[in-house]
Amino acid sequence: MEIAVENKDLRLKRFWKTFKTSAWLGWQIESNWTDWFLFIIYSIVKPISGAAILIIMYSIVSSQDFSSPIFAYIYLGNAFFIIVGAVVQGVSWGVLDDREHYRTLKYIYIAPISIPIYLMGRSVANFGTRVVSVIITLLFGVIFFKLPLSLARIDWGLLTIASILGFIVMADMGLILGGWSLIIKRNAWNLGETVGAAMFIFSGAVFPLSVLPKALQVVGYAIPVSYWLTLVRRAMMPENAQAFPMFAELSNAQLLLILGAAAIVFTIVAVLIFRYFDYLARERGNIDMVSNY
Amino acid sequence: MNAVETNDLSRIYKVKKTKKQPAKTLVALNHVTMQVQQGELFGLLGPNGAGKTTLMKILTTLLAPSSGTASVMGLDVNKDPDLIRQQINMVSGGESSGYGLLTVKENLWMFSQFYGIPTKMANKRIMELLKIVGLDDRANTKCSDLSTGLRQKMNIVRGFMTEPSVLFLDEPTLGLDVGASRDVRQFIRSWMEEDHQRTLLLTTHYMVEADELCDRVAIINQGRILACDTPTALKRRLQHDAIFNLLVSTLDDHDLDSLKQMPEVRLATMKPLEDGVELEIALEDDAALSTVIAYLTAHGIRILNLSKREATLEDVFVSLVGLSMKEVENGSPG
Amino acid sequence: MAAQAKMIKNTGWRLFLQTVIGRAYPRVIGTQRDLSWLFFDIFFPFMSMIGYVFVYRALQAPEEYIGFVVMGGAMTAFWVNILWSMSSQLYWEKETGNLSLYIMSPTSMMAILLGMATGGLFATTVRALVIVIVGSLIFKVAYVVTSFWLLFAVFSLTMVALYGMGMMLASLFMLLNREAWHLANLAQEPIFLLSGFYFPISSFNFWVSLTASLIPLTMGMDAMRQLVFPSGATLGFLSVTIEVLVLSGLSVLFLVAAYFMLRKMERLAIREGRLTDRLN
Repeated sequence: MEIAVENKDLRLKRFWKTFKTSAWLGWQIESNWTDWFLFIIYSIVKPISGAAILIIMYSIVSSQDFSSPIFAYIYLGNAFFIIVGAVVQGVSWGVLDDREHYRTLKYIYIAPISIPIYLMGRSVANFGTRVVSVIITLLFGVIFFKLPLSLARIDWGLLTIASILGFIVMADMGLILGGWSLIIKRNAWNLGETVGAAMFIFSGAVFPLSVLPKALQVVGYAIPVSYWLTLVRRAMMPENAQAFPMFAELSNAQLLLILGAAAIVFTIVAVLIFRYFDYLARERGNIDMVSNY
Repeated sequence: MNAVETNDLSRIYKVKKTKKQPAKTLVALNHVTMQVQQGELFGLLGPNGAGKTTLMKILTTLLAPSSGTASVMGLDVNKDPDLIRQQINMVSGGESSGYGLLTVKENLWMFSQFYGIPTKMANKRIMELLKIVGLDDRANTKCSDLSTGLRQKMNIVRGFMTEPSVLFLDEPTLGLDVGASRDVRQFIRSWMEEDHQRTLLLTTHYMVEADELCDRVAIINQGRILACDTPTALKRRLQHDAIFNLLVSTLDDHDLDSLKQMPEVRLATMKPLEDGVELEIALEDDAALSTVIAYLTAHGIRILNLSKREATLEDVFVSLVGLSMKEVENGSPG
Repeated sequence: MAAQAKMIKNTGWRLFLQTVIGRAYPRVIGTQRDLSWLFFDIFFPFMSMIGYVFVYRALQAPEEYIGFVVMGGAMTAFWVNILWSMSSQLYWEKETGNLSLYIMSPTSMMAILLGMATGGLFATTVRALVIVIVGSLIFKVAYVVTSFWLLFAVFSLTMVALYGMGMMLASLFMLLNREAWHLANLAQEPIFLLSGFYFPISSFNFWVSLTASLIPLTMGMDAMRQLVFPSGATLGFLSVTIEVLVLSGLSVLFLVAAYFMLRKMERLAIREGRLTDRLN
C-alpha cells in the first residue's frame, strides 16, 4: 500500500483549513449563547465597568482632573490589556472548554490536525470580540473623559507592526498555558487569569514600572508585553508616552527589535513546551479527564 | 393502589424559531394512559425518541406534563413532588453524575445523605450492594479512574441503596458489556424478589431485556403506547403467524416487493450477508411457505437454509408499527 | 440477598444538616486532594489586589486607600466564592447530571447550596486571611479597630446576607444554560465597582450609593472600613448602626427570597423542561 507523503503546500492548506474551521467553531461558541441585544450589552458593559473602577479610583484621588497625563496612561493601558487577557487566557480556555464542558477534546486529538493550530483558531473569536471591547472602551474614554486620542496623530505603521509582534508573543504565551492546562486538574480554570493578573502588575499596564520597588521593576523588563504596551502608547499618544519615561532609553526601532526577537524566541519555546506538556498529558491519560467538583 | 398511574398524559415541547428553522411543537408524549401495580417489574419498550425518557422524567418529578395527570404511589407529580421524592429513585444509562475526585464509596455516601440515611446504615448498605455488583474491591477508587461500565455500576448502586418504593431505571445497561448487563439483570430480579412491595419501572430498547425481566411490557412509539401486556401475551398475538428465516443465494428489491405483495405474506424483510441474503418472512400459516418457495425457485433463487422461529417482542413491535425498531430510529421506510 | 432491616431515613432539620455536610464534603476533600488551589486561589486575587495598590501609589493617594484595597481584595474572595462556587455551580451540576439527582432527592436545594458554600468556605477564608495578613504586612497597613465584636457582627451579617443573595442567584442559574457562565462573568466587575471594593461608596452620589447598598458587600465593607480605619468614619456612607440594621434586614430578606425563588425556579424549570438541558 502506498502512503502519500504530504508536501509542504498540502500541509499549509491543511493548517489553514484547521485554523479556519476552529475559528468558525470559536465564533459559534462565543456568539450564540444569547440573542444579539444581550450580546452587545455584555460586550459594552464588561469592559466599561472594568475601566470604571479605575476611573472612580482616579477621580477620588485627583479630584477628577482627567486632563492629567497619568489618567490617559492608566486608561489606555487598561483598555489594551483587555487583549492581553483574551489572547493569553483564550487558548487555555479552549482546552478546558473542549475537555471538560463539551468533552470533544479527545476527538479533536485523534483527528489528523495540528492541535496548536486548532487551539489558536479556537481562541481567535475571543480575541476578535475583545478588540471590539478595546475600541468601545477607548471611544467611551474619548467621549466622556476627553481622552487625548486623535486618529490623525496615531502612528498606524508602528501600531500595526507592534500589534502583530505583540499578538505573536501573547499567542505563544497562550499556547504554553494551554499546554499546561492539559496536565492540571481543577484549577486549570484559574491559570490564565493568574498569569494575566501577574502581567497586569509587571507590564506597566496601569501604572509606570517606576512605581514598583526597584527589585520588582526588573520583572517588567523581562516581559515582552511591557514593550508592546510601550509601543502602543508611543503609537497612539506620543506626548503621553514621553511624560512617563518607561524604556525612555530605547527608541521605537529598538523596542520593535526586542519585541521581534521575543516573538521568535517565544514561538520556539512555546512549541517545545507544548509538545512536552502534550506528551505528559497523553502519558497520564488527561486528554479526556473531567475534573469539576 | 397503583404504584404508577398516568391518565391522558401528554408532553409537548415548543421549539423556538431560529434562523435555520421555523417555530414548531414536538409531541413527546401523546395521551398516554397506563397503570403499574405495586410489586410489578414494568417495562417500557421502544426505539430512541419514542418518549420513554420523557415519561420517566415526568414520573420522577423532573418534568411537568403539558396535560393529563400522573401519580406515583397515589401522589400527584405536580401537587406532591416533595412527598414522591421520599419514595423514589432513578438510574439513567450513560450517567456521568458524581464527582471525579471522590472515591466510589464517598460518592455513594454523599448521595445517601441527601436521602437522610444515617452514615452507619448507609455505609453498610453501600458495601453490601458494591459486593453484589462486583465493585467492592474498587470502593476506594476515585471515580475519575473508573471505566464507563464500572461507573454505571456505581450509579446502579446509587439507585438501589436508598431502598425506594418505586425505582425508575432508564436504560440502565447502556454502555455495559454483556457480562455486566447480565449481572445487572440478575440483580434486578433478586432485588424485586426480596420484597414484593417494591415496584420497578424499566425503559429499554433491548428486546431481550424486556422479555427476560418484565412482568408486563408497554410498547411505545412516537409518544403513544401501542400495546401493554405480559411479554407472553404480546407474543401470543402473533402466534398464528409463522415466522421463517431463510438464507437465500440472492434477492433484490424487486423480488422482495413481489413477496410482500403475496396475500399470504404478512411481513418480509431482507438483510444482505457475506454468504447470501437473509430473508425473514411472517406468513399467515405454515402452508403458505410452499408459495414462497415456489416463487424463489421459479426466479432461480437458491435456498441455502431454512428455519422457523418463535415470535419475539421485536416482531410484535414490527406488527404494530410496520417497521423494525432500527428502521424507526434510522428514520428509513424499510 | 438477605432480608434487609427497614431503612431509617431522617427528615426535617436532620436531613437538612446531613445534606449540608454531604455536599460540603467534596469541596473539603478537594482542598486536601488537589493542593493546587493554594497557589491559584490565593495568588491570583493577591495579584489583582496588588495591582490596585500600585495604581493608588502611582496616583499618590493617601495611605489609607491602600488599606481599603487590601480589605476589598480580601472580600473579593467571598464574592468570587458566591458567584463561581455556588450560584453558577448549578450550571455545572446540570451539565454533569447531578442537578436532576439533587432535585429528585427529598432534600432541599437550600441545603445543597449551603453545603457548597460551607465546603468552599475553608479555602475562601484562607484566601481572605492571606490577602489581609500578607497585604497588610507588605504595604504596612495600619488598622485601628474601634470595636472587635461589632466588627465580627458586621462581618457575620454580611456573610449571611451575601450567601442568601447567592442562593437567590443560584435559583436563576437553574434555568440557564451556557449564558450562566457569561452572566456570572458579566456580574463580576459591576459588583466590584458598585460595592466599593477599592474605594468608599460615598464617592458616588447618594442615590447610586443607596441602590448599591442592596448588595450586602457594599454595606458590609462600608461598615467595616468605618470600624478599622481612622478616617473610615468620615468616608462612610451611613452610620455603622444604620448599616448593621440594613444588613440584618437584607439577611432576612435574601434568605426568605432565596427560599421562595428556589422553589419557584425549580417549578419553572420542571415546567419548561430545563432541568436536564445539556451541551448548549
